[in-house]
Amino acid sequence: MNVVVCVKQIPDPADPGALDPNTKTLKRDGKLILDESDSYGVEMALQLVDAAGGGEVTLVSMAPNGETAGLRTALAMGAAKAVLVSDDALQGSDALGTSKVLAKAIERAGQADLILTATESSDGYTGTVPEQIAELLSLPSVTFAKSITVDGSSVKVQRQTESGYDDVECPLPAVVSVTAGVVEPRYPSFKGIMAAKSKPVDQVGLGDLGVDAGSVGWAGAGQEIVEIATAEARAASTVVEDDGEAFQKIVDMLAELKIV
Amino acid sequence: MYQWSEEQEMVRTMVRDFIDKEVRPVREDLEFGDLPPYDLLRKMFATFGMSDMQRESFRKTIEREKAIAAGEEVAEKTRGPRDPNSIAFTMIPIIELCRVCPGMVTAMGVSMGLTAASIMSKGTIEQKERWALDLLTMDKVGAWAITEPNSGSDAFGSMASTARRDGDEYVLNGQKTFITNGPHADTIVFICKLDEGNPPAERTVVQFVLDAGMPGLEQTKPLRKMGIHSSPTGQLFLDDVRVGADRLLGGSEEAYKGSAGKEASKATFSMERTGVAAMALGIVDRCLELCLAYANDRVLFGQPIGQFQLIQLKIAKMEVARLNLQNMVFRHIEMGAAGEPVTYAEASATKLYAAQAAAEVANEAVQLFGGNGYMAEYEVEQLARDAKVLQIYAGTDEIQVVAVAKALLRDAASAAN
Ligand SMILES: Cc1cc2nc3c(=O)[nH]c(=O)nc-3n(C[C@H](O)[C@H](O)[C@H](O)COP(=O)(O)OP(=O)(O)OC[C@H]3O[C@@H](n4cnc5c(N)ncnc54)[C@H](O)[C@@H]3O)c2cc1C
Ligand SMILES: Cc1cc2nc3c(=O)[nH]c(=O)nc-3n(C[C@H](O)[C@H](O)[C@H](O)COP(=O)(O)OP(=O)(O)OC[C@H]3O[C@@H](n4cnc5c(N)ncnc54)[C@H](O)[C@@H]3O)c2cc1C
Repeated sequence: MNVVVCVKQIPDPADPGALDPNTKTLKRDGKLILDESDSYGVEMALQLVDAAGGGEVTLVSMAPNGETAGLRTALAMGAAKAVLVSDDALQGSDALGTSKVLAKAIERAGQADLILTATESSDGYTGTVPEQIAELLSLPSVTFAKSITVDGSSVKVQRQTESGYDDVECPLPAVVSVTAGVVEPRYPSFKGIMAAKSKPVDQVGLGDLGVDAGSVGWAGAGQEIVEIATAEARAASTVVEDDGEAFQKIVDMLAELKIV
Repeated sequence: MYQWSEEQEMVRTMVRDFIDKEVRPVREDLEFGDLPPYDLLRKMFATFGMSDMQRESFRKTIEREKAIAAGEEVAEKTRGPRDPNSIAFTMIPIIELCRVCPGMVTAMGVSMGLTAASIMSKGTIEQKERWALDLLTMDKVGAWAITEPNSGSDAFGSMASTARRDGDEYVLNGQKTFITNGPHADTIVFICKLDEGNPPAERTVVQFVLDAGMPGLEQTKPLRKMGIHSSPTGQLFLDDVRVGADRLLGGSEEAYKGSAGKEASKATFSMERTGVAAMALGIVDRCLELCLAYANDRVLFGQPIGQFQLIQLKIAKMEVARLNLQNMVFRHIEMGAAGEPVTYAEASATKLYAAQAAAEVANEAVQLFGGNGYMAEYEVEQLARDAKVLQIYAGTDEIQVVAVAKALLRDAASAAN
């Protein structure tokens, strides 16, 4: 069984960088890492391929500057290869633009039995890409999977809900989005890390995918960022100088707020 | 090499993450609760496929040795060039573990480093298969016993433990102390002198492999000590322990003719000493990281203490030590990759510097933290206690001084002749 996993490479949340005042978007020129949300999909895919007793996991990613650092992490975990779409014309792509590109990249990745994504990315989190990909590829879409089993030509999914989960089933191939935290992503082994360097990454531009540059990027975006503003600072707190009677002032303040 | 490669960086990130999740939360149990470190080490080995890598390289070594024994043509074994990652990937876990728990490295190093390495360098194929593989994978715990109550620095000279021939067997007697993993060891390399009725100074040094639970062998509970609490240290008592020649490393007394016994132990010392540079780097790296945060945070006399020049001096010296140690580790990786052997003098000089640097930095870290630094909660207190041992085991500072100076003087004298 062959599984394609969409993995987003995002700025390190521990070092998130800054917004560009001209484009009003996040600067993505630093090193990108594998979105933790996608590590669950990668783990799930590896487990499914293992359980099926054959096949491979292929990664698909769209990222600026030919960035592969995040892909290498997923390759080290055990994915076999990757398709990376990187093109200057993609700057400013909205979720639909991204989905168009990813859908083409998934086709390029070869015959897939199952396509996995996260339910939402950690940086953009519109949570709309998986369904749009499914629509563009005319495939069934199942969201919020907490567990996936493949049974012949169909997939059974426990779909997380607020009160528990639904059992759903649909024919393969399908696009399934995986809820964060439902599996424990493996650490790559040292051997896996060494092997990742030589695994194939097929880097392509829009031309290779036959995507019209006017339909993606700023040109094709159906959305516009009109303004970015600094979040309001928290209102200043009241400082009570301790002159020996501070406790009384604090008690009075709490009483005024009807807390005591 | 002046920095870690991209892959090495990835290994470092992953190992650090594992240690933060698995080791850091149980630091108190390791430190104050006698939690043995072995299961954590095994989990780390399994997680990163380290045991599989050991198994694979062991299989190749044994296959080669068997081919040689069968008289087959085998390509000459060259020292290099080697993949630098094969060395870097053993250094990185040492450095990362030492940032949190240097004792775990001691326990690991003695088991898979010293004990397994002794068997791999001196043992017969049979002995390697019987004992070494399980030690290399951390499935079993090993101890390496040379030190005695009356022989530490003068290990060979004053050694009182003996082996006496008795028919086809040997009878072992003696007492060993400060033995890392002693309380939990499954496999013990016991170093003693062959008593042939000759004066002790003339006796041959021999090594035997013992299993836990053998009649006459007693392994004590852990001794209470200043630091590296996560590395259990104990005593061994041997009272007429009977062994066959199958437990004599090398299989026969022939293997110990001339100075071979001492040379084998010396090679083991060299390896142990270079590992200390990586340990020191981990300790210094963590101390510096903690100190920088504290020096920026702690405000006194109206400013962060990092603004005081006396604090800046401490920080600058820590960085000097960190850079030196890192360069030593990089050099070790480069030399190993190039197949250049490290001389005994260099290994000793490296160990001397590394041990002193780690102990000094960790002590200064306590100082920088003031009263908090003296409290267990702030980590540097543990690192300072742990770092001290680096100046004592694997040859004391004083013994390293002697080793370095004597080697240089001897070389200079022979160059002059
Ligand atoms: C103003 C703006 C500028 C942008 N500039 C660029 C740019 O310069 N270069 C560029 O490459 N992209 C760019 N993007 C695209 C952006 O990074 C997202 O990929 C896209 O908007 C998807 O939105 P999301 O993260 O909310 O997806 P969600 O719907 O929250 O994502 C759900 C899941 O879909 C998958 N997925 C989403 N995005 C990707 C991806 N890119 N690759 C692989 N899998 C993915 C992941 O599995 C993800 O967890 C830009 C977007 C905007 C809005
Ligand atoms: C935590 C820990 C774990 C250990 N683990 C092991 C182990 O697994 N296996 C094992 O066999 N041993 C182990 N040891 C023992 C260790 O190797 C010895 O403690 C060390 O070699 C010093 O020997 P000693 O303690 O007998 O000190 P001594 O040799 O008695 O030294 C006392 C002092 O005299 C100094 N001195 C000695 N000779 C000279 C000289 N020629 N010139 C100047 N000064 C000199 C020393 O430097 C020291 O300061 C361990 C020790 C510790 C503390």
